[in-house]
Amino acid sequence: MSPLLSFRDVSFGYDGPEIFQSVSFDLEPGSCTALIGPNGAGKTTLLRLAAGTLRCTSGSIVLNNEPLHSLALKKVARTVALIPQQLDVPFQFTVREVVEQGRTPHLGFLRGPMKEDREAVDRALELADVGELQQRVFNELSGGERQRVKIALGLAQQPKLLLLDEPTQNLDIGRQVELIDLLHFLRDEGITIFASIHELQLVEGNFSSAMLLSPDMPLMKGSPEEILKPSLLEKAFNCPPRRHPMLLERIQRHAKRAG
Amino acid sequence: MPEEPPRVDRPSRGKASFGALILLLAVVLVLVVLSSLAIGAVRIPPRAILSALFGDHPLTDVQRIILLQIRLPRVLASAIVGTALAVSGLMFQGLFRNPMADPYVIGASGGAVLGACIGIFFFSQFSLFGFSATALLAFTGSVITMVIVYFLARSKGRTNVVTLLLAGFAVSTMLGYSSYFFEVLNINSGPGQAILLSWLHGVIGIPRWTQLAVTGALLLSSIILAIPLMRRLNTLALGDEYAHQLGLRVEYTRVGIILTGSLLTAAAVSLGGLISFAGLIVPHVARLLLGPDHTRLLPVTALSGAIFLVFADMLARTVLAPTEIPVGILMAVLGGPFFLYLLRKTKRSYSL
Repeated sequence: MSPLLSFRDVSFGYDGPEIFQSVSFDLEPGSCTALIGPNGAGKTTLLRLAAGTLRCTSGSIVLNNEPLHSLALKKVARTVALIPQQLDVPFQFTVREVVEQGRTPHLGFLRGPMKEDREAVDRALELADVGELQQRVFNELSGGERQRVKIALGLAQQPKLLLLDEPTQNLDIGRQVELIDLLHFLRDEGITIFASIHELQLVEGNFSSAMLLSPDMPLMKGSPEEILKPSLLEKAFNCPPRRHPMLLERIQRHAKRAG
Repeated sequence: MPEEPPRVDRPSRGKASFGALILLLAVVLVLVVLSSLAIGAVRIPPRAILSALFGDHPLTDVQRIILLQIRLPRVLASAIVGTALAVSGLMFQGLFRNPMADPYVIGASGGAVLGACIGIFFFSQFSLFGFSATALLAFTGSVITMVIVYFLARSKGRTNVVTLLLAGFAVSTMLGYSSYFFEVLNINSGPGQAILLSWLHGVIGIPRWTQLAVTGALLLSSIILAIPLMRRLNTLALGDEYAHQLGLRVEYTRVGIILTGSLLTAAAVSLGGLISFAGLIVPHVARLLLGPDHTRLLPVTALSGAIFLVFADMLARTVLAPTEIPVGILMAVLGGPFFLYLLRKTKRSYSL
């Protein structure tokens, strides 16, 4: 099966020095991939490149066997949805009005939303389990509710690939689990998931593969088990091995297995 | 007891109730126009006005002249100015994602006045379709000002509200008052000065019918241009980057909004001069009542803007009769406090 999205030797820098160089990877359709790495490694940038909001300085990004930058803006938006960390909405837009904007890539120059668009919005609200919130004002929602509404907005685009920028940030453990369940549900619906994530303990068991992006190392891709090796994390995050409970636990587990 | 999350009550959003609202506003507009036609130094009964419309001739000659040559043009001009200001206010507020933007605040009106002045004093002979160079230069002035303010207020895809308000204030003051140079330079040109003064004070005079026709056509075409932009304003509310990611051509859309908003500002300025705050208050109140969906706000602001300004001009003519207050000055006096209230109310959410 050909990959849904591939990065081939992609380099990128905002005006100044390059944030990363020669990054290559493939996302298989139906996969659920976690992107981990220290702050400032360029996780958000990588997701924005994948969504076509930024253009790489060299290399190429291929979506469905076609170079991303040669595709029409709307066509990309019908295939890829990026859920940003922050969404500032001015005025008192309701949840439904916000989610309706996800239909933009499906509308014509003059053609406004029709019945099929309203149905797609209904479905997106239902999938993200925010149907009950649809008349609430977006700015008055809690963090967990907002996260789900942002996902509904992305789902209204009816994408094949859902990119999420730290979807679990600022969520309590109960809401984190709910969010992971939602991602699994979407994966089962046939949507490919690619999410940056800081909560490393959520990666194993929940994602089919993982990627590690760190400034001083080439991009690593593998199973969560391979990527979450204590030696690798220690180096990538520049974290003393016994100073973090998760690393400590993993070192002990490895030792037990070895002994 | 756990506290309920705060909710904003809004009238039901059904199609029927929205249609009823539009109908109601249309009826109110007709009533305000009729009473504005009736009230003045010479009273003309509304019933007589209505039957005159249907071909009867119950009016005296004096009443006819007052009605057709004085009041009707003025009332129509007020309606055009009100609609143009309110709709351009709606568009600028949406573009800047801020309820405090309006053509006066961000300086578009100032630019239009400066452009119009250049037209009056230097190209007074020039005329196109019965219109002087004034309208054309007013449009150019407001577009240029908008572009300047827009780029001053934006950095890295965001609009800085403080910069926007300060830049708009500075540009608007600078342009508005630089018109006084024309006064000094053209001591001998009497009519130009009178027009300038009435412009700076925001007087809706008694326009010629050709002027009304051209401005009316300008208004109509800009509103037609505005219709497809409303849905895009909703998308732009999510921010430029998000709108781009949703497949919206952000740059083109912004240019369309700025041009259409400036066209509307020029239409308003060419009839009424500098009228502050009308473009601020009307869309804001409509948004409070109906929510921020621009596609619904467009017809409501267009009608309410006309109602608001026809009513305000009626007040301006009658409150201190026989003396007339320029409607622009009335607006500044009444609108200023409203603006301050808005500034106080929104300062938290816009971290001013």
